[in-house]
Amino acid sequence: MKKVALALSLISFAALADRPVIDLNGARIQSYPLAIAPAVGDGEVGARMREVLSADLNRSGLFKLLDQRSFLAEPLHEGMSEKTIDFSKWTAVGAQGLIKLEAHSVKDQVTVTFRLFDTARGAELLHGEYAASRAGERQIAHRFGDDVVHFFTQEPGIFQTRLAYVRETENGKQIVVADADGANAQALTGASINLLPAWAPDGRMIAFTSFRDGAGAHIYLVDSISRAIKPLVLMGDFATGAIFSPDGLRFSFSASLDDNTDVYLSQADGSAGRRLTEARGIDISATWSPDGKKIAFISDRAGSPQIYTMNADGSDLKRITFQGNYNQEPAWSPKGDLIAFSGRDEHRTFDIYTVNVESGKVARLTQNAGTNEKPSWGPTGRLLLFSSSRTGKKQIFSMSFDGANQLQLTNEKLGATDPAWGPLK
Amino acid sequence: MSGGGLHRPDEGDFGGDEAQTMVAEEGPVTTPASTTIYRSALNAPSRVGLGPGIAAAVGLHVAVVFFAFIVPRYFEKPVQHRAVIMARLMPLGKPRAPNLLPRAPSAPPAAAAAPAPAAPSLTKVAPKLQSKPAATPKPSHAASNGKRAPTNQELMERALAKAADQAVVEEPDPERAGAANGSATGTATSAEVGDKYFTEVHDAIAANYTVPSVISERERLYLSATVIAYIGPTGALLRHTLQKKSGNHFFDEALELAIKNSKLPAPPPELVKSLRDEGVALNFKP
Repeated sequence: MKKVALALSLISFAALADRPVIDLNGARIQSYPLAIAPAVGDGEVGARMREVLSADLNRSGLFKLLDQRSFLAEPLHEGMSEKTIDFSKWTAVGAQGLIKLEAHSVKDQVTVTFRLFDTARGAELLHGEYAASRAGERQIAHRFGDDVVHFFTQEPGIFQTRLAYVRETENGKQIVVADADGANAQALTGASINLLPAWAPDGRMIAFTSFRDGAGAHIYLVDSISRAIKPLVLMGDFATGAIFSPDGLRFSFSASLDDNTDVYLSQADGSAGRRLTEARGIDISATWSPDGKKIAFISDRAGSPQIYTMNADGSDLKRITFQGNYNQEPAWSPKGDLIAFSGRDEHRTFDIYTVNVESGKVARLTQNAGTNEKPSWGPTGRLLLFSSSRTGKKQIFSMSFDGANQLQLTNEKLGATDPAWGPLK
Repeated sequence: MSGGGLHRPDEGDFGGDEAQTMVAEEGPVTTPASTTIYRSALNAPSRVGLGPGIAAAVGLHVAVVFFAFIVPRYFEKPVQHRAVIMARLMPLGKPRAPNLLPRAPSAPPAAAAAPAPAAPSLTKVAPKLQSKPAATPKPSHAASNGKRAPTNQELMERALAKAADQAVVEEPDPERAGAANGSATGTATSAEVGDKYFTEVHDAIAANYTVPSVISERERLYLSATVIAYIGPTGALLRHTLQKKSGNHFFDEALELAIKNSKLPAPPPELVKSLRDEGVALNFKP
């Protein structure tokens, strides 16, 4: 037994060798290759559905949509079921996912069937049948797009949300609402000077700053369905930048009293307003943390406009940005970790950046593409809206949180600014 | 086997009655008392006691082999893990004042990153390669006019060549942040020293380390997996084991793919044995 014990102890000793450990973090995120086959059935309706769905999924940044010209299969003849589809022809062109759709229309009614397949396994993953009037047919594609995103990520899709922005007109600036892809734009206000739309969490009311009363800048509320407008803050001659708290019970704004611009807090109906900041200088552009406990804002109290945070009662002030000499328009991510802002670089060009609230690390999202301003987070924190002059007149663009996939949404004749992404439906 | 009928398969081991039976068969040993001697193999006379000794030796060897090769498969080896100190290279670029807003990540400046041409003829080729991605060779004239239908592979190659022609080449950023003496492949914001070889292994795998976008960010926060990679003297991956799975099929597949697709450098002589026998532990987090 002694010999056995000795042998075993020697083996154990030999096994106690040195094994190096390497930590690998920060993987690159690779988009999921997806093919959307041309629609069968009513080709005209199907083509429109396919176009809307493709644009949605492409804008999400999650998928790499394959060019139809590379397809080897004959989608119109291979049917819609696992048994009839030759998946090898789809995997051969690199598709990991395949969407097939079949559209039909009777009078004013449109019906579309979507199927999502895993090409490697040849299995159906998702199946949906939707019906709508012709006027609402785009919502069918948005709805299925949301279902696809939710299937993969377990996060809600944002394609059925709405956005607001400011449309430049010959007579001024008006508040406009549109679908999340920029379609169906509708004006909510006339064309005096109307700025800075901000959605209430109910997804219906929009606060905005307006010079409509001729007595300076004040804050109003517009119903995005009825278009009814009512005043919210008429304090002094400069009240601007209303932003609702995540629970919708309060809102913050900036106002100038006694030649000092500060951040204020008020109940949702505009009552019980109180001042949160006291320092000399300009405190402006408040934005809420997703838990409603903190507010970030811009202050020039240290000599140049920088981002600060404080508790929602004005305590625990902390400076967040130390790079650049003109940072503005902060927007706190729904995930809570990042604040997007626009900053002026050494070439005096404004671009979009994010700062990590904990580490203070700043990342640049736009560069060498005109002036880029007014970031606004999508409700899941995966995408951002911003305005950019890269194509001439300022237009609204979307991009991923890391700056990838920058795509134009609006094509307003005289320009579009101040985007605000609405909440989930 | 020596010892004759002493170890017949149908016999018991040194039992009293059975021993007597055996003695009867052997003949010369006649005293009943001698049968009791056979109860101890170690004290048995050499003439008939070799068998038990051999049996014990064989048993011992079997035990050693069992504990050396079989048992470890069921229990984790008591290997001592050692964290590697990674070396990081500053990217090639212009030093950037810390009070300025950062530049976006970008490829290194083309002119500075290109090595000096070995022959004059290369100088004309290099700028062309920088401005346009390499395209897949076009099919030969004979093939394009051939009677057979193109294969899927050929169609794919044509599509890829077409896509490569249409690809937009990103202009290098002339103001890329970094150090004047930095590396074209540098990634760190400050230089550190460390294990050169393991840094190369890290960078080789990191270059292929991608995870699918369809894994939700929330899940990515919690995913982690450990792979033990055994590396041969030439840098070839001998084998790998997924020691700790992440629980997400997409993620685990991506890790294995990253390792398989990586061209690892040949280890220095002092690491050849340990990397071959003990491997290196790769802790993956998205």
